[in-house]
Amino acid sequence: MTLTRRALGLALAAAMSLGGAGHALAQSTTQSLSGESVIESIKREGVLKVGISMFRPWTMRDVNGDLIGFEIDVAQKLADDMGVDVEWTPTAWDGIIPALVAGQFDVIISGMSIRPSRNLTVNFSEPYAYSGATVLANRAMTEGFTLEDFNSPDVTFAARRGATTVETIMSVFPEAQIVQFDDEGAPVQEVLNGNVHATMSSEPLPSTEARRYPETLYVPFDYAFEASGEAFAMRKGDPDAINFFNNWISLHTRNGWLKERHDYWFRGEEWADQVPE
Amino acid sequence: MKLIRRLHWVDWVILALVVLFFGYVWMQISDTLNYKWRWHLIPNYILGWHTRREEWFANLLLQGLGTTIRICLYASILSLVFGVILGLARTSRNLTVQLLARTYVEFLRNIPPVVVIFIFFFFLSVPMIEFLGLERWARGIARSENAYIWEFFFGNMRLFPQLVAGTVVLALFESAFVGEIIRAGIQSVEKGQREAARSIGMTYWQEMRYIVLPQAMKKVVPPLANQFISLIKDSSIVSLISVQELTFKTLELVASTRMIFEAWLTCAAFYFIICFGLSRLFARLEK
Repeated sequence: MTLTRRALGLALAAAMSLGGAGHALAQSTTQSLSGESVIESIKREGVLKVGISMFRPWTMRDVNGDLIGFEIDVAQKLADDMGVDVEWTPTAWDGIIPALVAGQFDVIISGMSIRPSRNLTVNFSEPYAYSGATVLANRAMTEGFTLEDFNSPDVTFAARRGATTVETIMSVFPEAQIVQFDDEGAPVQEVLNGNVHATMSSEPLPSTEARRYPETLYVPFDYAFEASGEAFAMRKGDPDAINFFNNWISLHTRNGWLKERHDYWFRGEEWADQVPE
Repeated sequence: MKLIRRLHWVDWVILALVVLFFGYVWMQISDTLNYKWRWHLIPNYILGWHTRREEWFANLLLQGLGTTIRICLYASILSLVFGVILGLARTSRNLTVQLLARTYVEFLRNIPPVVVIFIFFFFLSVPMIEFLGLERWARGIARSENAYIWEFFFGNMRLFPQLVAGTVVLALFESAFVGEIIRAGIQSVEKGQREAARSIGMTYWQEMRYIVLPQAMKKVVPPLANQFISLIKDSSIVSLISVQELTFKTLELVASTRMIFEAWLTCAAFYFIICFGLSRLFARLEK
């Protein structure tokens, strides 16, 4: 009898200590999660490191060699609201996700649209901007083309490597050929030279270029393909960061600040004299 | 003047043909190339007049050139140090050391530079910079009062980690080639010299220090100078890991202003001036 009682007592004690340990484990996990959050390291270092890649008018260099653009405004405001400095890391677009994963910066704010393929590697916040891609075509080569005419093996598209437009072209014009370049300038130049039929890029680039070379270039369709949301990208496994960025974005969506800045850079031309084109 | 007098009439015909040929090529290009040249904008991106600060300053291209020169200078010093170690290891009598050095050299010589740069960057430089806490240290300096001394040597201190990463990656890559040059130099010293050194009771290090290296160094200077020039050209690859050197800045300029051809031609001219200037200088020094 005493033996069984003692055994029961032991078993109970063991169970309790286990339960206690489980509880403590859960607590320390929560603590370590928030302790390791990028938000904590930003506060500790007093600096927000942002990965960017040049893409007019998201981010660009003005005549003084300084960074300006929609993203620059967004990241500056974000850092101001957090009460920290902002540090830009201009990066080649090809390597921007590996660089984020390797810890080169805290967050990518560079007009990166949400794609399932990207989302497997990084986490995205909610979108803070929506832009659609349009086609920019060579007038002489594609005059009178319908959407179906573009979808032919004889048609060649140029696009920026690693950009979402590559996937969009593949899905909208599966038959067409694609050649890829490292920056946004080369595809446009290829269309201008008549080496490819068209390129696809997010607005306002196609409209601006069509206005600059009206004899050669035009935007054949007045609607955007696969309007995609642009979002902040961050490393996986950081719920605190997502929560903070999402709330920051929804706050500035509600009070209209994001829309006002977006209109300034994408609709207006007030800044055009700062970046000669 | 002397050169012109030495030209035969056949030379003039050949010259005229060459000019005609390039003129024809140029006409063809400008016919098919639909491009608005804007050369007048380029000088501002070399030496600019700051619209807000109202003073002259080094704009994008010159900043990039500065970074290129810094990286090349530090990387060449570093690669010389690594290279001498590698060269000594390659000629070492210890088989393990020899094999290790050989492996390193063969790896680097048989993998494309772009791949090497990526591997070194993500697996070596990034962890090293993190381990040493360079980023925080550099930011501390960038925020302090007398950052300008540091900035003279290393450019913008906030970009210091990238500069270090680029330098280390480039130095490791070039050290394989420098190592081979040093090895050839050491092996070119006559066997009799080394045997003589040994027979008067010199240790290995004394032999190297007083007999072998002084003779080897004289022989390796010309190929090393060549290697230094090719290091400058190779440095353009580190733009892939976002080091803010000349090629990267040119890319930024192209993305911002879409002056594709002007920017790249200017960039090419910068590289040419530096490399050609140096090769003339080295040729003169060798005499």
